[in-house]
Amino acid sequence: MSLQDKMRERARELLESGAVNMVIGWEKGTFWYLSPPAFITTPEEADRLVWDEFCLNNLSKYLLDYRNTDDKIALFVKGCDSRNVVRLLQDNQFPRERLYLLGIKCPGLKDSRAASLLGEEKRAELPLAPKCVGCTHPEPVIYDELLEAGVSGDLGSPEKRFEDVEKIEAMSYDERYAFWVNAYARCIRCYACRNVCPACDCRECIFDRTQTGWCGKQMGLTQNMFFAITRALHVAGRCTECGECERVCPQRLPIMTLNRKIIKELNALFGPYEAGVSLEAKPPVVEYRPDDPDFEERR
Amino acid sequence: MYKLATEKLPELLQCWSQGATVYVPQKVGEVTLFRPFKGQGDLALGEGNTLEPPKDLFFPRTEKLYDYWASGKEARLEPVELHPDRAVLVGVRSCDARSFLLLDQVFLTRGYVDEFYKKRRENTAVVALACTQAAPTCFCTSFGIDPGRAEGVDVQMWPVPGGYLLEALTPRGEEMLKQASGLLAPAEGEKIPAPAQPSLQVELEGLVEKLQKMFDHPYWGELSRKCLGCAICTYLCPTCHCFDIDCETIETSGYRFRCWDTCLFAHYTLMAGGRNPRPTRKERLRNRLLHKLQYFVERYGQFACVGCGRCLELCPVNVDITKVIRDVKEVSL
Ligand code: SF4
Ligand code: SF4
Ligand code: SF4
Ligand code: SF4
Repeated sequence: MSLQDKMRERARELLESGAVNMVIGWEKGTFWYLSPPAFITTPEEADRLVWDEFCLNNLSKYLLDYRNTDDKIALFVKGCDSRNVVRLLQDNQFPRERLYLLGIKCPGLKDSRAASLLGEEKRAELPLAPKCVGCTHPEPVIYDELLEAGVSGDLGSPEKRFEDVEKIEAMSYDERYAFWVNAYARCIRCYACRNVCPACDCRECIFDRTQTGWCGKQMGLTQNMFFAITRALHVAGRCTECGECERVCPQRLPIMTLNRKIIKELNALFGPYEAGVSLEAKPPVVEYRPDDPDFEERR
Repeated sequence: MYKLATEKLPELLQCWSQGATVYVPQKVGEVTLFRPFKGQGDLALGEGNTLEPPKDLFFPRTEKLYDYWASGKEARLEPVELHPDRAVLVGVRSCDARSFLLLDQVFLTRGYVDEFYKKRRENTAVVALACTQAAPTCFCTSFGIDPGRAEGVDVQMWPVPGGYLLEALTPRGEEMLKQASGLLAPAEGEKIPAPAQPSLQVELEGLVEKLQKMFDHPYWGELSRKCLGCAICTYLCPTCHCFDIDCETIETSGYRFRCWDTCLFAHYTLMAGGRNPRPTRKERLRNRLLHKLQYFVERYGQFACVGCGRCLELCPVNVDITKVIRDVKEVSL
């Protein structure tokens, strides 16, 4: 049985038995290279679910929409997505009892933008999705049951994680400044990068409090840079590198480079840490430790 | 009709740059945007539409309305000079050209003339470029738009082997071709290429009437579950025109400005006191779609969508306006 059939079968069973009242997965979109989120609430609809190389959306973000309801939700999670579930559980954003996790051993997904340009004849030769390139955990770290993708694709290589960061680090200060100014001058502050991010779980975002004077509504480089830096720092220690922010950015800004720079610095300052890999390990900027290297240094 | 050889294109842009800023699609990083022509740059006239629509030439993302100064009992207002510079917009596709006519309705008719918009519009010449190939996301023809010939523009260009054909459509356009006459040759025996034929199409018959009965339909709730409430589909839509007005004050002086806003953001309808008549993404996404497909038609007799396909291409969760149109026709009331 293919993974897709298995997904449909399990969704149907879970809804029929009443174990959950909603299954969040993926379905086929407008074009062959799009597999957007699907919300299944009746057993009959389970056949809408699909699994293919374009199931890119990280569905864990949607848990926040149901945090104050009684809904019992079954969620399909790839490796990266599962780490965001761990993060949300750690932040008490969703009760584990109302959640059923269907883990998928991810074979590595494909770049849908490249697909749209190359055409369906080249389907077999598509490059790995940029967000999968530095993947360290294709297998879910938390689940109630695990489904196998069957085919093994070409997985990312973790040693490539910091390649882009190192390129920027090799630049002079002026070059780096010019690089980021050039990029974020184009940001349209559509906030898609924030809205898609499962680490952004604040009830009210600083950028929605436009009357406070922290960041005005004007579209300008100052505001854009303030947004870029603040967003990146707000997810420090919580970013699981699922790459959704960079994937959805219409301007294709190198958002993950910013996130990974912070991860690299956190590793250097507080010791190696990967967000959302374990329920027990506390994020470095959340925990207080007297033997913290940073603390020692300042003393 | 005249012909311009491909290699003379930079010279033509240079020529039109005299006394004006020429905006033309260029590759910027991985995307294509209208950018001022500065003699170099990676011109991208051959490759479909730009990521951002050109509307910000007339309706900038942020525009200063006036300066003010206040101290004690004294206060002063200083109007800003209305945008005086001339511009030439080259390479506008038929869909975006139609969007200018729709924006004109909003900013120039029904008893109010927006002087800021008007001045920029008057000072900008528009040179359209015909499409001979459509992207899979294009559906302009459903709105009666001809990808091969734009409405309301000064000059129409067509790509042909070895160059472009140009035809002036207004006195200003004729002036521009005269200005560039040294670069142009009469186009004898040249045939205007066949327009693109978008494969994506929507049927609009009866749509408004159906939508008028659907305000409280559960469809909107279902549709909006996946929507992220970002601003991609509004900021990058050529016809979306909502703005907010705010001010920036530092000590005793400051300025008032307007800037793009979007009905997909929660604070768009947030009232003083905290009430929000559009509390969830359901009401917000519904508003966007009804504004385009119902309210605008009721007010101006035209759809506020030109089928450029940007929202369809860029929405992170594939909210597809063409599917919405098809769904609406099918849902039972
Ligand atoms: S998604 Fe890109 S353009 Fe939109 S706010 Fe984020 S960085 Fe800016
Ligand atoms: S429809 Fe798509 S682009 Fe528009 S707000 Fe929702 S998620 Fe963003
Ligand atoms: S609604 Fe979408 S397709 Fe229609 S004009 Fe706006 S961006 Fe283009
Ligand atoms: S929608 Fe029509 S006019 Fe616009 S780019 Fe596509 S084919 Fe050209």
